[in-house]
Amino acid sequence: MNKFVKIAAATAIAMSGATAVMAQDEGLYIPNLSYRTGPFASTGIPLMNGQRDYVAMLNARDGGLNGVHLEFDECETGYSTEKGVECYEATKDQAIVTQPWSTGITLQVLPRTNVDEIPILAPGYGFSAMGDGSVFQWGFNMPSSYWDGASMILNEISGGDLSSLAGQKIAFLHLDHPYGKEPLPFLEAMAEANGFELLPIPVGLSEMQNQASQWLQIRRERPDYVVMWGWGAMNAGAISEAVKTGYPMDQFVGVWWSGHDADLAAVGADGTGYRSISWSAPQPDAPVMAAVREHVFEAGNSLASEEELNSVFYQRGLVISMILTEGIAAAQDHFGSATIDAAQLRWGLENVNITDERLAELGMSGMVAPFATSCSDHTGHSGGWMLRWDGDSFEVDSDHLSPDSETIRALEVSAAAEYAAANAPWPTASCE
Amino acid sequence: MLYRTAGQFKTSYKKDQALFPVRQDATLLALILGLAWIVFPFMASEFAFQTLLIPVLVYSLAALGLNILTGFAGQLSLGTGAFMGVGAYACYKMITIFPEMNLIVAVLLSGFFSSIVGVAFGLPSLRIKGFYLAIATLAAQFFLVWMFEKVGWLYNYSNTGAIQVPNIDMFGVAVAGPLASSVTKYYFVLFIVTVVTVVMINLTRGTQGRIWKATRDMDIAAELIGINLLKSKLTAFAVSSYVVGVSGALFVFLWRGAAEPNLFDISLSFRVLFIAIIGGLGSIMGNFLGAILIVALPVVLNILPELFGIEIASATVEHLNIMIIGSLIIFFLIIEPHGLARLWALIREKLIIWPFPH
Repeated sequence: MNKFVKIAAATAIAMSGATAVMAQDEGLYIPNLSYRTGPFASTGIPLMNGQRDYVAMLNARDGGLNGVHLEFDECETGYSTEKGVECYEATKDQAIVTQPWSTGITLQVLPRTNVDEIPILAPGYGFSAMGDGSVFQWGFNMPSSYWDGASMILNEISGGDLSSLAGQKIAFLHLDHPYGKEPLPFLEAMAEANGFELLPIPVGLSEMQNQASQWLQIRRERPDYVVMWGWGAMNAGAISEAVKTGYPMDQFVGVWWSGHDADLAAVGADGTGYRSISWSAPQPDAPVMAAVREHVFEAGNSLASEEELNSVFYQRGLVISMILTEGIAAAQDHFGSATIDAAQLRWGLENVNITDERLAELGMSGMVAPFATSCSDHTGHSGGWMLRWDGDSFEVDSDHLSPDSETIRALEVSAAAEYAAANAPWPTASCE
Repeated sequence: MLYRTAGQFKTSYKKDQALFPVRQDATLLALILGLAWIVFPFMASEFAFQTLLIPVLVYSLAALGLNILTGFAGQLSLGTGAFMGVGAYACYKMITIFPEMNLIVAVLLSGFFSSIVGVAFGLPSLRIKGFYLAIATLAAQFFLVWMFEKVGWLYNYSNTGAIQVPNIDMFGVAVAGPLASSVTKYYFVLFIVTVVTVVMINLTRGTQGRIWKATRDMDIAAELIGINLLKSKLTAFAVSSYVVGVSGALFVFLWRGAAEPNLFDISLSFRVLFIAIIGGLGSIMGNFLGAILIVALPVVLNILPELFGIEIASATVEHLNIMIIGSLIIFFLIIEPHGLARLWALIREKLIIWPFPH
């Protein structure tokens, strides 16, 4: 009976444990499905550190948010969708928000959030169509979606006039994964409307580190620009391959997840001129950084290293947590209660209003562009800046860029309607 | 004591060949089935359904399919993940083309598609063996996953390239999709797994199973006693891929709810292969034991620290988890290289003669 007893015991423990797990006494429980292990850990760690440190700073400096302690917790997924769903199930009973941190996990969790009624916060990732808040009532991807990113890149490289791209060739180097395919519908629509040639070059998950064949194709086709949607090991692979093949760095532009300091530090000065669109910008001298240093880093409560603090990803992590806490604050304010539940946070996230004044109050001026969400707009379309690698660090290299909101809105609405139809019955809200 | 066989006399050949010659085995199985069918569904939380019960069943079924091929017929395969994918995509296409289709029918039919693909990739097994065959099935693995990525028709040209399970009703109850409750999904999976397992137990005990075992143990000798190797190997591929395909359909439709092509990557094949090897090649029960060790144990280990109120970072737990599972695998393989099923068989034998060992 040995084995059987063991199995039964293990199952019994697991089941009784599952309900008892995450028993939070008080405070607002905001879990993060982190990935500090696995193939994407190098890019995950600075982001997770930033998120963690911002909340730790609020807890240390202000005792939480409007007097209520913020219970920040991480559940490790290793970027695996299977673990992600496990984490979602483990945290959803207590959590007021879920932060899936992977397009794959978002894909699996999104349909369930409608039933479980828990908001899903995917800042700058997830589905672009999540911007249509009337369909994706529980999904939020502010401040910018991938279609925004693609649009801003095109605006910047065309100098604001898309018709100037006519006749040019743009290679779209992307991870062959839901994430990498996300901007394709937008880019295809733009290519057709403006007469430039789009050359999609997929990079399979297994060939991320060896992109010789993709870059051979790029060398042969001589595109005017290479736009990259890469993540994890793919970024470093592409950048070192671009250096090796001598592709002009100033014609090579990446999305915000392809602007990781460590990837470019590996090639150093050879990477000078590489640009990455970003909805966040590092501001080493921002007051919020001083606060984080004082209350978290110097108190020894941070997992980050000194050089990481000024990196793009760490500071983006701060912004992500700020968006969440602003959503919480909006809900607290509206419902007149310091403790809020998931449904109230949904309202809060729908009514985030980040203005220049508010950013100044938070000490985050210039770290993100002002934006506001609404019932029908869950993205906010903040726009962003182009960051340029100067051989040593990323610097802001452009004025504030805005996406073509009208074109994107039409795409969002049709894609969201398509999604809802494929998943019928899908509840939609009427805004106004 | 618990396993005393004294007094259980077999007075006919029929009794001697029964599925459970020892009464305690039958009692034990009845107990497990009782737990699975009656006790667990009432006790389990949503978390337990989604991360322990359903995945263990689905992975067990996949390992069972692989075990038919590798454990019973002796043909090594590294393409399990892709064959699961064939089942899942076949089920997805059938459900989207014929939305009225009964899900049980769709799941059981989708096995046939992966069966056809399995036989096609099984053809080289007539000429090549062992590691060489593994390479041929590896080709299937890469080719099929590539196809799931490239052929837009398979995922209905969705923007993300992923398949998403729609809401499916059966007799007015939602059985799959976001609206379905976990209990319903669990019973659905349990039903299919029980049926397939019973069929497989009987198949492997009968003539076909003996033909496969003969092929596995020495194919020349098998040929000499009149076994048609072509038929034997291809039926093994067909039956194995069928079961794997059904498990793939369950994997996506009753558990994950959505799937991108790289879900069916080689790591899935390895995972299923590990379950089959650690559970015990050539056994049915081993698949379930293996799945409990590989699939359920990490989940249980993950929640243990919190249960006892120990404060450890989630990432550290994950690292510890990988180390513990790794060492457990080595430990079990050292004490019993033939897998957990064999370990149980030894324990059972000892229990039968206890307290008077030879």
